[in-house]
Amino acid sequence: MTALPGTRRLFITWVMLMGLTGVSMVSARLDQTTDWQTLSLWSVALVLVATAFKAHRVLMVYLNLRAATPAWKGIFIGLILVTLALIAAGYLAGRFNLMG
Amino acid sequence: MSRDLPNPGWGPLSTLPGNPLMWVLILSEMLVFTAFFALYAGQRALDPALFNASQQQLDPLLGGLNTLVLLTSGLCVALAVEAISVGRMQRTRLWLGAAMLLGLLFCGIKLIEYTDKFSAGLTPETNAFFGFYYGLTAFHFAHVLFGLALLGLVSWRTSTENVETAAAFWHMVDLIWILLYPLIYLLR
Repeated sequence: MTALPGTRRLFITWVMLMGLTGVSMVSARLDQTTDWQTLSLWSVALVLVATAFKAHRVLMVYLNLRAATPAWKGIFIGLILVTLALIAAGYLAGRFNLMG
Repeated sequence: MSRDLPNPGWGPLSTLPGNPLMWVLILSEMLVFTAFFALYAGQRALDPALFNASQQQLDPLLGGLNTLVLLTSGLCVALAVEAISVGRMQRTRLWLGAAMLLGLLFCGIKLIEYTDKFSAGLTPETNAFFGFYYGLTAFHFAHVLFGLALLGLVSWRTSTENVETAAAFWHMVDLIWILLYPLIYLLR
């Protein structure tokens, strides 16, 4: 069996994941109950960066991908980054009316 | 050298931890969801006003709560793997049970959300956004149900390999939701 992350690392990761989810929710201004405004680009960037970091932690610690070769790590992290890039591209294209 | 590999004899997959076939499934599921997310992003770019107006009908706090619930169940499953690795069967089943309870809570919250939307007349046919909302979240929901069944199965037939395999599937369900949540609920 591959070396596991260990209980301490798992708990630290969980705390980070909780915190990053909180960061995403605050960045997305979920406190705006009546005044629903478009997010600033900084907020959008923060939501996406927090999401990328959460996905990275789940892959590396929960799924224990850190035990695999750099090639496998690159494939999975690359796929996450491509996915987030597509999400960001669609969002920005809509925001700046790039699709007419 | 091959004795050091987690899965000797699996060629390029031999360095992956746990069941190599589960990693093939994880990769293919991620590719499928990426394709759906790209489709959503493309449609959003074509009609951002409709998507923004429709997103206002969702409850991002409930979505956030479900994120916290699912990530916590992921921790429980990872702790179950730790427990089985040192032969602590009782503790393994305890962590698996906790993960399943949290998975059921996720389903409950999701059903409350669906009921709320349906009672407000928001169905998959309302517009393109709600088509994606129901399509993507229901597809993910089906994975949660399958994951719950897997966790139940390995609680009964508990072995290191079984728990590791079910845990990998459950973490994939976590991973997909992590990407789905900002896409559907947060980015506006």
